[in-house]
Amino acid sequence: MSSQPTANGDIKQSRVGDISVVSVSGTVDMITAPKLEAAIGSAAEGAPSAVVIDFTAVEFLASAGMGVLVAAHGDLAPAVKLVVVADGPATSRPLKLVGIADVVDLYATLDEALAALQS
Amino acid sequence: MTEQGDSATFAKIGVVAGPELAAQIRQELAEWLRQNLLLDPEKSSDVLLAVYEALANAAEFAYVGAPQPGPMHVRAAYDDSAARLTVTVTDEGHWRVNDNDVPNVARGRGIPLMHALTDRTDIDSTASGTEVRLQWDHVAQNCGSRTT
Repeated sequence: MSSQPTANGDIKQSRVGDISVVSVSGTVDMITAPKLEAAIGSAAEGAPSAVVIDFTAVEFLASAGMGVLVAAHGDLAPAVKLVVVADGPATSRPLKLVGIADVVDLYATLDEALAALQS
Repeated sequence: MTEQGDSATFAKIGVVAGPELAAQIRQELAEWLRQNLLLDPEKSSDVLLAVYEALANAAEFAYVGAPQPGPMHVRAAYDDSAARLTVTVTDEGHWRVNDNDVPNVARGRGIPLMHALTDRTDIDSTASGTEVRLQWDHVAQNCGSRTT
């Protein structure tokens, strides 16, 4: 992924088989968290088996974004599984510290997430 | 602009509490941290997230119901004798923790995050506002940068 981090959360959607991938870059804070929420809703409309939120290119993740993840995870269950890809001090560390990684499956890379979902 | 022997400080006083300025202050604080302190990537992320969460609480909860948002104040100071970084985020409003009709600060993860990301978090709410004090110990100063 070569996209430059942007000040606003930049969100792209893609599909891998019946899995929707929401790729986020830049900042996920009070301002951009609603965009993430909208993107997850849009990704879920195609009736995927799972939605993967990929934070690999996120350089800042605030609790506003974490709340979106947890709410979406609950809303989509049980029909659609929501998982997160995150690695590093700005993303996976706080997700683990506040226990979200205990509720939402967390993977270090997109490949690992897809492999787990497709097995 | 620190001379040798001075403790570095950062201050944003009387900023209108809101999401845009919270984001801007985070960026400015990141630059101040880079110039004045030696933080590994994990601690730097911890500081910026904890401070942002305090700003976000002020932006979201301090002035609910007010005709317009009030101010928030941020001060960061490095105590070189204690190797301690202290960041204080203050507002002059009222956080609502017991009002079930509006989303309140206790339902979010901001406060647990602040406690998890710092060595010390103190939140003092009075009728005249709230002060959040965040502290990190064992912080080294960046003595390599000399700016005039």
